[in-house]
Amino acid sequence: MDGMDTRNQRVPERGAGPRGDGDPNLDWLLARVARGDHGAFEQVYDRLAGPVYGLIRKVVRDPAQSEEVAQEVLLEVWRNASRFDSAKGGATTWVMMIAHRRAIDRVRSANAEAQRDQKSAIAEAASSLDEVAEAVEANLDRERVRRCLNSLTDLQRESITLAYYGGYTYRQVAGLLNMALGTIKTRIRDGLIRMRDCLGVGA
Amino acid sequence: MKLLWRDPHGPSGAYALDALENSERERFEQHLQRCESCRQEVRGLHDTATQLALAVARVPPPQLRGLVLEAAARTGQNLPVTDHRTGLQPRHARDQRRAGAPRLARVPRLLGVAATAAVAAVAVVLGFTAAAIQHRLDRAQAQEQAIVAVLNAPDARIVVNPVSGGGTATVVFSRASHKMIFTTAGLPPLAASKVYELWVLEPHAARPAGLLPAPSKGRTAPLLAAGLGPGDSAAVTVEPAGGTSQPTHKPIVAIPLTG
Repeated sequence: MDGMDTRNQRVPERGAGPRGDGDPNLDWLLARVARGDHGAFEQVYDRLAGPVYGLIRKVVRDPAQSEEVAQEVLLEVWRNASRFDSAKGGATTWVMMIAHRRAIDRVRSANAEAQRDQKSAIAEAASSLDEVAEAVEANLDRERVRRCLNSLTDLQRESITLAYYGGYTYRQVAGLLNMALGTIKTRIRDGLIRMRDCLGVGA
Repeated sequence: MKLLWRDPHGPSGAYALDALENSERERFEQHLQRCESCRQEVRGLHDTATQLALAVARVPPPQLRGLVLEAAARTGQNLPVTDHRTGLQPRHARDQRRAGAPRLARVPRLLGVAATAAVAAVAVVLGFTAAAIQHRLDRAQAQEQAIVAVLNAPDARIVVNPVSGGGTATVVFSRASHKMIFTTAGLPPLAASKVYELWVLEPHAARPAGLLPAPSKGRTAPLLAAGLGPGDSAAVTVEPAGGTSQPTHKPIVAIPLTG
């Protein structure tokens, strides 16, 4: 396949597996990107720019900064596509991990930390559910995630949304919720495992 | 910490959400090397986190597509690296930052933006302020006026490339005026017996374009090169102190001046 242009090739059909875990179509596209195929990168962009931007926006909040971080992340996908290894995980997860790390790098920088106040953090976490519910493109995936988040205990849900969407460390989450460190660590793990089983994500 | 030590599996959830602090993350990654079942659990939890991410997808700003694709068209790709110790993908962002490379975010953002709007930001990228430019203008130094002229050229383009060995090189060039400005950030320091030398690589020849000045806060002051033609590239090599008339080593960075 080397040297051939993506535009002249049929992209393999998407697999039937759970979303975000092993999308052979996207894996294939990333392998093309790793060989410098700009056409494939365009398709990767069209598939993942929405999720990447949405996640970063959720964590970083400020639109201009979010756009900047999203650009950085998507360019990193281009630059480091050869480092993606489908044997170790799905392409969507690989990209979203980069996006999340870059987003929290941004909010955990010294300046950003100083600006964050605790009340708004908790209010933000509380509104996460609503936002998930009323997000731009209501779809089945979103509905499933909302339903599964609702199946958690309040403490599990709050810990997970503060950590993932809020970009806080579990230590900070413990401080915000005034709970013991070990409790938060356990709730995050239990809650995520419950989410995983609820969503039917293959492990 | 004691809890973590007694219950080595405990942090998998916080790890999957990037919610461990650095020391704990490193410790847990060490544990992962030895624990296949933990790796499996983490993989499943990472996929779960991905679902949380997909649930908040939103339409990106329309200009992002062009900016990203154009930046990719100008950006080289990295070779595969696998961390055999952990069997995990390396944390590129942190690794790069630890090595002293600056963030690329602001620069590609300028691509495709109207040149006038970009100038102020370009100046920031290059490490001097508008006031400093004005000050230099006031001093009426021809060299610096020429630099400002390139920044102000309606067709000014900016390209940032990583430098092998660390750091980045930034070129602002104007095809219409056949000139470019070259600057770097975060290059590793050299022994006193060596210098970084800038070249204009023409299709069949290399033309010396000056020695990079000593960096200030990691950045080198801009160098100006004139008389550029189609197909030329800007390149840097490491040469003996004083520089050479022809490159004696392979370039550590080469940026084609196209587009």
